[in-house]
Amino acid sequence: MASTACFIIVSRNDIPIYEAEVGSAAKKEEAAQQHQFILHAALDIVEDLAWTTGAMFLKSVDKFNDLVVSVYVTAGHTRFMLLHDSRNEDGIKSFFQEVQELYIKILLNPLYLPGSRITSSHFDTKVRALARKYL
Amino acid sequence: MDPQKSYLGRLLQEEITPVIMVFTTHLVEDACQKNGLNFIEMLLPFSLFNKINVPVRTASDQPYRLQMFKLRLAYASDIHLQNYEAAERHLKQVVHDASHKSLTNLSSDPPELEDLLKDSGSDLCPTWIQTFNKELIQTLCFSEHETFDHPVACLLVVSSKDERTINKFIDLLNTDQLPSLLNDGVMDPKILKHYLLLHDNQDGSPEKVTSILAEMRNTFGSNCKLLCINSAEHADGASKDISWMPYGSHTLPRDDIACFLSSDDINSVRDFMQDFSCNYIIPHMEQKIRILNQQVAATRKGFRNQIKNLWWRKGKEDAPETPNGPTYTFSSIESQIRILADYAFMLRDYELALSNYRLLSTDYKLDKAWKRYAGVQEMTGLCYFMLDQSRKDSDYCMENAFSTYLKIGSSSQRYATRCGLWWAEMSKAKSQFKDAANIYFRISNEEPSLHAAVLLEQAAYCYLLSNPPMLRKYGFHLVLAGNRYYMSDQRHHAIWAYRNALCVYRENGWSYISDHVHYNVGRWYSFVGILDVAVKHMLEVLECSHQSLATQSIFLNDFFHVLQSIGKKFEVYKLRLPVINMASLKVLFEDFRTYASASDVHVSESLWQSLEEELVPWASSGRSNWLDSQMKPSSLKRKDISVCVAGESVTVELEFKNPLQVSISVSEISLICELSAKSEGTETGKSASQIEPPEDSDHRNSPSYRYPHNDDSFTLTKVDVVLGGGETQRIQLEVSPKIEGLLKVIGVRWTLSDTVVGYQYFDFDAKNKQKKGRRSRHSSSSNLSFIVIKGLPKLNACIQHLPKKVFAGDLRLLLLQLGNQSKFSVKNIKMKISHPRFLIPGCMEDLNMDLPECLEKQKINGTRKAPADVTANSKSLLFSFPVDAIIQGETSFTWPLWFHAGLSGNISLYVSIYYEVASCSSDMTFRILRMHHDLEVMPSMDVSFNITPCTSSLQEFFVRMDILNKTKLDTFSLHQLSCVGNTWEISALPTSLSVFPVQTLLAGQALSCFFKLKDCRKSSTTEEKLTFRGGDLLMVSEDSKEAMIDISKSPMVEFHQQERYHQGKSAKGDPSIVEFILISKMQGSDPSILPGIRPKLLTNHACYSSVSSKCPISWQMSGPRKINHNFSKSFCEASFHLQVHNLSDTLLTIRLATTNCMLERKHSSEVAKLSDSSGNGGGWHDISLVNDIKAISNVHGNRPKKSSLETSSPFVWCALSSTKLNLEPFCTTEIPLKVCLFTPGTYDLSNYELHWVLKLPEEGITHDGKLCSSGSVGGHPFYLTVLQVRH
Repeated sequence: MASTACFIIVSRNDIPIYEAEVGSAAKKEEAAQQHQFILHAALDIVEDLAWTTGAMFLKSVDKFNDLVVSVYVTAGHTRFMLLHDSRNEDGIKSFFQEVQELYIKILLNPLYLPGSRITSSHFDTKVRALARKYL
Repeated sequence: MDPQKSYLGRLLQEEITPVIMVFTTHLVEDACQKNGLNFIEMLLPFSLFNKINVPVRTASDQPYRLQMFKLRLAYASDIHLQNYEAAERHLKQVVHDASHKSLTNLSSDPPELEDLLKDSGSDLCPTWIQTFNKELIQTLCFSEHETFDHPVACLLVVSSKDERTINKFIDLLNTDQLPSLLNDGVMDPKILKHYLLLHDNQDGSPEKVTSILAEMRNTFGSNCKLLCINSAEHADGASKDISWMPYGSHTLPRDDIACFLSSDDINSVRDFMQDFSCNYIIPHMEQKIRILNQQVAATRKGFRNQIKNLWWRKGKEDAPETPNGPTYTFSSIESQIRILADYAFMLRDYELALSNYRLLSTDYKLDKAWKRYAGVQEMTGLCYFMLDQSRKDSDYCMENAFSTYLKIGSSSQRYATRCGLWWAEMSKAKSQFKDAANIYFRISNEEPSLHAAVLLEQAAYCYLLSNPPMLRKYGFHLVLAGNRYYMSDQRHHAIWAYRNALCVYRENGWSYISDHVHYNVGRWYSFVGILDVAVKHMLEVLECSHQSLATQSIFLNDFFHVLQSIGKKFEVYKLRLPVINMASLKVLFEDFRTYASASDVHVSESLWQSLEEELVPWASSGRSNWLDSQMKPSSLKRKDISVCVAGESVTVELEFKNPLQVSISVSEISLICELSAKSEGTETGKSASQIEPPEDSDHRNSPSYRYPHNDDSFTLTKVDVVLGGGETQRIQLEVSPKIEGLLKVIGVRWTLSDTVVGYQYFDFDAKNKQKKGRRSRHSSSSNLSFIVIKGLPKLNACIQHLPKKVFAGDLRLLLLQLGNQSKFSVKNIKMKISHPRFLIPGCMEDLNMDLPECLEKQKINGTRKAPADVTANSKSLLFSFPVDAIIQGETSFTWPLWFHAGLSGNISLYVSIYYEVASCSSDMTFRILRMHHDLEVMPSMDVSFNITPCTSSLQEFFVRMDILNKTKLDTFSLHQLSCVGNTWEISALPTSLSVFPVQTLLAGQALSCFFKLKDCRKSSTTEEKLTFRGGDLLMVSEDSKEAMIDISKSPMVEFHQQERYHQGKSAKGDPSIVEFILISKMQGSDPSILPGIRPKLLTNHACYSSVSSKCPISWQMSGPRKINHNFSKSFCEASFHLQVHNLSDTLLTIRLATTNCMLERKHSSEVAKLSDSSGNGGGWHDISLVNDIKAISNVHGNRPKKSSLETSSPFVWCALSSTKLNLEPFCTTEIPLKVCLFTPGTYDLSNYELHWVLKLPEEGITHDGKLCSSGSVGGHPFYLTVLQVRH
């Protein structure tokens, strides 16, 4: 498992709808905002890259020092962004794919307004379990 | 784009130019200082030639023309590498100056995103950054490994005043003063020298100096010049259009600068420089290039030389490696090539330069002279760029140079930076802004934080310039830059960077980011003393519930710290702390409806209205809108404006929530109100539309701005609370108007931690939200506006001693206390109670009595009236107080109330009291006081009765009373059992008095008692009016002196009626129903019940105990029991009557069937089953006497019939075998029966069956589920003994 990993889901209108620090390293106050900054800045790169390829998994799109941003863009242009320091592309790909399944289930919920914050604790638990499994 | 026109192209043409080393004497400097300039500064404006237009011929035969040319002038003492610290200081000064020059408008609003995108290119990147870049590159001047900084020529200047001028020139060239570069052998000491004699015209005419000049010419040759300055008496403006701003120094331009330079002087200086560069420098460089080129061609060019070179280099491989590679003197071929290349570069012959650089780079690479190699690579890259050749090559070279510099280590980091700056400029020139940004970011990592900050800021601008603009990257890098600026104490720059980044992060969900930016900007603004802007930013981070506890408290503390340093209280519109839930807004006010306590307000209005239907005069007349007719005579005919009374408060309820984990103290929460006094005449004309909510622009203004003085016309309450972490509190805010007029509640204000005042206006657009409150039926368009009317009397009321928890059955006397605090008196008081089962008004006499005693039976049976106007059996009671009950002003009034807890459970009692204002001049003629109490009634005793008809008598019944104490701790003592009405009489079973010796019932104990009940009615068909003089049975032992409770007295009667009404529907008219009242007292000690409110008396009313069982009929055989008969004469005949009584209220058809064969005992078992199902095994059972009959038969001899007892009876029913008749409800009929007996003995005459069919009315199917529609029962045992009479 990666020592630092920050997973975030960004809605199509660029608002984070789910955030999770899934790294094994001790959580630092500074880190939370730094991770947000890096991921937020990486959105610019994703904007460029997303339209150049048909693949959903964009691999690592950006890096800041030793932190790498891997991105997965769903068909609805929701972006799954993972900030990590390990290089395990296959694991990350599987992670994204499984998270997308979970995300689709969230979307199927008629009470969930697409683009709103995901507050389901079940989703959170599942995502963290997946992170332990793949990252 | 032509690379030479690009910024980098111009930069290179200005920066990589020949350096002139300048030596001056003190007197020269003194002469120049009169103008406020030193010598170099004086020459500087003329060292740049924009249109020199000189033909140049370098290695090739084809000359070309040089357009722009520049000379760099430097004192010999400055020609050395700057030490690191000095360079740092210098650069810091540059940044610091920039902050004062360009960042003056920090308190202005940060730029908007659109504006940023509109501004293109250079507008964005501040000029000081370019200056900084130049300065950063300049710190690397005069390095060993690069020759373009090495002086091309030296200029020796001596004043005409100097003694022994010639010697002075020679002294100047003394090796002690020469720069180390020349002395170390890095540079060729044989340098082009130029001699200048400076003459100050103030010292005399220039004639004298011509001789000196001639002498110089003789000594040094032709390259001697004379320059005259300071010929002007006063400043004549000739120098005004020349930029004297000295390059690289930071003195501000002064007025007296160059004041003694006449236009002739300036022209002579210009001519001198022109001559110097055109006739000396450029030809010198051309010549040198040609010589060196030949030399290089001879030694290095050609196949033979290359082989030789390679072999020679190879031989050097064994030499020990020095950290900087091998040293090269000026005479080495490598240095020569470098000089050649650099000169060619400076003279814009990039082709020549490139070929030589490339030649050189392989050499240095083989020699592992990495620094030189990198320098050469760098220049190669620049050559490629200037030649506009392949971008790939130039990038490759720059990358190579950059990484090589980095590889060498710390000593070359700055070179890497320079290389990066050039590289980035290259990318920018080719519009590769993203690459440029990347390069800036890379070099920022190698630099100290201040430089890194500037570089990151440039990276940010690059992202903004890229297409499409990468705004997020821009923001991120600005934040990074700002952070570095802050670390290196450049707060102005830090603020500048952050606030520019703000537009990127505005209004999005990236909470941590916006918190960080706002918090830091706010903090830094406070450091530089711009406190109001600091507060503005700090406000943005207050609602930071996602942050950790520590961060939250840091944020808060800093916020308060800033506010304290402001000194005055700050008023903030829509302060985010605490969060106000506007949807929770509730307005509570009292118009004609008043409330006894605040909790009464929350009861739904419809409940009150249904309660007050009969109470309020208009409610009875059917109208669509109650407001229409009520308000008609008054001036209050406004549907959308509420009414309140002067002197009484209007309450607004709001939820305040603390989103943080830190607790915050909120003080002085109060409403913002406006009260405009009612002026005469306008009151009716003013329509509701005129009373409009304040304009939006008004909303921005602070309350103290809008209402500068305190208004005396109303009073506001101020509430102080401390909200813990995550806590939500409902806070009630009151305003009491003092005068009549129009009151508008506009908003709310509060003070957070005594430092900041927040205020918020109620949103008039969100009207729908406000409808949720109690006033939902109002069209609440402006239900925060009130018409204040004249003061009215207002009653307050409370019910004294009303317990919160009672046991079921508790009977007690309560006092209703009405108080009138106003000066006016009220009259015509009426009261209505929602649950008369629980609460009924008493009468005045009750006031003086104690509870159990007043109910006891008195010897003298004084008849007591029932209280006035009790409308019995209505759903609720309307009670009018006596007409003389007028509550004068400032008095109070007490009235007794009887309370009886009829049913266990939670119950809400609603009481409405109507009263009229004695003086009818007011707008309102009446008011209603509403009270509401919640009670918890705990179960006490479970009493059930089971009545079984007695078979022996139609008038007698057997009563089983099952009592269960359902309390946990309390003990009850049974006091009295009464049955209501005079038709019944209850008595203890004579023999079973000992069955209930217990008069107390412990907690949880169950008890069954048995009684006999007798129907005292003379005839069952006549119905009598129920009176309450029923039979009583004192259950206490005889010796105690407890008195009997009179159940026919006032409260008991009413409560019993209520109980009867609630327990069953058919309260009267059914004579088969017995009603019991069990009166008990409490003994036990539940410590949770205070002794004062301990119930004294409990009554349990069981009102629907029917005497009828499963079977709707009761019957009784009557006739002789014992017959003496002489069987020898004839058989015996006996007549009987069967009395059948209809217990049900419907018509019955009865069929009597007699059977002569003895039925099996299944009859009795059936009967038993029937009775079993109706009760719990109590009551009457048929006990089989068959065995006894057998025994009796045996006693009476061996008769052959006895053996057939089981199969056929020894008697025969005669007369009818089957009778069918109809029986009216509650009627009795007699059926004659006759039996023939043949032998003496004892007979059981029970072998008959009664079949009954209920004739139910059509619609009334079973209102009483207990009764079957038809059935049959066997007879009761009736034993007849026949004796033989012997004659």
